[in-house]
Amino acid sequence: MTPPPAMSVADTMRPPPEPPDSKINEDLLRIMYHRISPGYLLLLGATILSVVAAGGTWVYQVYIGLGIAGYTHPVFWGAYLITFVFWVGIAHAGTLISAILYLFRAKWRNAINRGAEAMTVFAVLTAAQFLGIHVGRMWKSYFILPYPNQRGLWTNFKSPLEWDTFAISTYATIAIVFLFIGLIPDFAVARDRAKGIRKLAYTALSLGWQGTSRQWKSHTRSVLHLSGLATPLVLSVHSVISWDFAMSLVPGWHATIFAPYFVAGAIFSGFSMVLTFFIPLRRIYGLEEYITDYHFDNIARFILLTGWIVTYGYASEYFVAWYSTVEPEQTSFWLRAFGPYWFSTWVMLTCNCIVPQIFWFKWARTTPWILFTVATLVNIGMWFERYVIIITGLSREYEPAVWGIYTPTWAELTLFAGSFGFFAMLFLLSIKVLPIIAITEVKELAIHEKAHGGAH
Amino acid sequence: MPSLRGIYDFPGPVAEAATKLKNRGFSDLEIYAPCAFPELDSVLDEKPSGVRAWTLIGGLIGVVTGFSVAIWMALDWPIVVGGKPFASIPPYVVIGFELTILFGGLATLVGLLVVGGLPYGTFGQTDKAYSTRFSADEIGLVVSCAERDVAEVDALLRATAAKEVDLVEA
Repeated sequence: MTPPPAMSVADTMRPPPEPPDSKINEDLLRIMYHRISPGYLLLLGATILSVVAAGGTWVYQVYIGLGIAGYTHPVFWGAYLITFVFWVGIAHAGTLISAILYLFRAKWRNAINRGAEAMTVFAVLTAAQFLGIHVGRMWKSYFILPYPNQRGLWTNFKSPLEWDTFAISTYATIAIVFLFIGLIPDFAVARDRAKGIRKLAYTALSLGWQGTSRQWKSHTRSVLHLSGLATPLVLSVHSVISWDFAMSLVPGWHATIFAPYFVAGAIFSGFSMVLTFFIPLRRIYGLEEYITDYHFDNIARFILLTGWIVTYGYASEYFVAWYSTVEPEQTSFWLRAFGPYWFSTWVMLTCNCIVPQIFWFKWARTTPWILFTVATLVNIGMWFERYVIIITGLSREYEPAVWGIYTPTWAELTLFAGSFGFFAMLFLLSIKVLPIIAITEVKELAIHEKAHGGAH
Repeated sequence: MPSLRGIYDFPGPVAEAATKLKNRGFSDLEIYAPCAFPELDSVLDEKPSGVRAWTLIGGLIGVVTGFSVAIWMALDWPIVVGGKPFASIPPYVVIGFELTILFGGLATLVGLLVVGGLPYGTFGQTDKAYSTRFSADEIGLVVSCAERDVAEVDALLRATAAKEVDLVEA
């Protein structure tokens, strides 16, 4: 009998069969492919409706003029500016979680950073619209950009409003870049599993990512460098916005505490918004394994900490007003608490200073409905904080002869509600097209845990 | 030249295998990983990533642009305010800072694309050695070697806890 020909080692090797996909991929991609429920459609419909209502109101305002916004002497900064500052504040948690916690190697950020980064982008986009809405003649907004023109006229770089333009546009750009860079490997995961039009889209968005060592090395360095750049940026953006106020001489605004106090307030409200969106997301898509009570506990601790910084800010404002012996300053702060806008001040103090104290207790930091309630109240409180600063400041300046009362009109309230609709609409749409939990980062932790027998 | 592909579950053994292969003179190596592992970061390339140069140069261009644009425009369109200098540096720090971040961030993105070789290939194309297993939770180590070295490489990969070894079709 003739023996079979000798086989080389290579001949014995055949491509191994493809194993089933990893659990993490299946769990996290499932959010995108989850059946669209009637509840989802109803929510999406409601958000779209509010956006349409806001759009219609804005068109009407363009036609009629800013008068429908209730802007009248002496208050020419109203609900639009309040809402602008509010949304810029909301944008801060995303960059904080992504950049600052990344630099501190806080691995607990991994499951929530993507959603928070997306929220940052959506919040900045929402905020930016209010700058245009506030100026009334939105189509002239480009005047604030330094562009060559026949009159040889340039913008005034000494104006805090000009700084705002640079700060917000830089923040929006960096937030988008940060989000996109983080998404590239996850788009590749989605690409490898998608079919049809999704496959085409994710193939384009993943830029041919294969996870080679060179690609990962560049990627980690890019995230590191962007974190290094974004960390001072996140602290600067709300500082710059606070200088819109602090550089003026309006009683109650001209304070050096404004920058740190605004930044802390922004992080405070940003983290609250993260909770507002992540608690239902976890519940609806069954993500308890990825977004754990540990995440919520840490976020609640941040809220408690920043809540105390904000409280310190309020206290120091009152102390400085008293200590300064400047009468308009003292009057301004007296009127905040006991004047015509007392309601907003007490809502602010209750929601921002008292309510978060429940987070001293661990059971409160890990009970979803308490977290959700506190987060909602904090967001209400933070909107009122900006209301108090802007409205009480402008309506009661130095001369009693020019004092006035401001009340938001239906148009402002519609646009305010529309901003929430716009933000929520983008979030709802994004969970269907973006991996809203950073798949590769979650995987990194999981594989390390497996390698070390769950020692991490 | 044949390429062997070892498939691993954990990054530690991949780093060990790649180091051994490099020490034995196999230089044509590639690792495919589902996520970033610090263990694998410098195994194939010990040099610092070129992305840092992009970030630095972008940031420097940004700071120079920020200050020079603000100063030049202030001098080109002077606003007379009670004897104050037309171009005053302190307020321009904000513009300089913001543009440092903006240009630095955008340059970092370009750096990632250039240094990371992205976008890769033509639309939808991937390496022959790439498998969707590497975007799941497995790690691939691919070695190109001469025909006569196949057995040695195969043995080395298996000895370093590769759970599967196969030949990548050319």
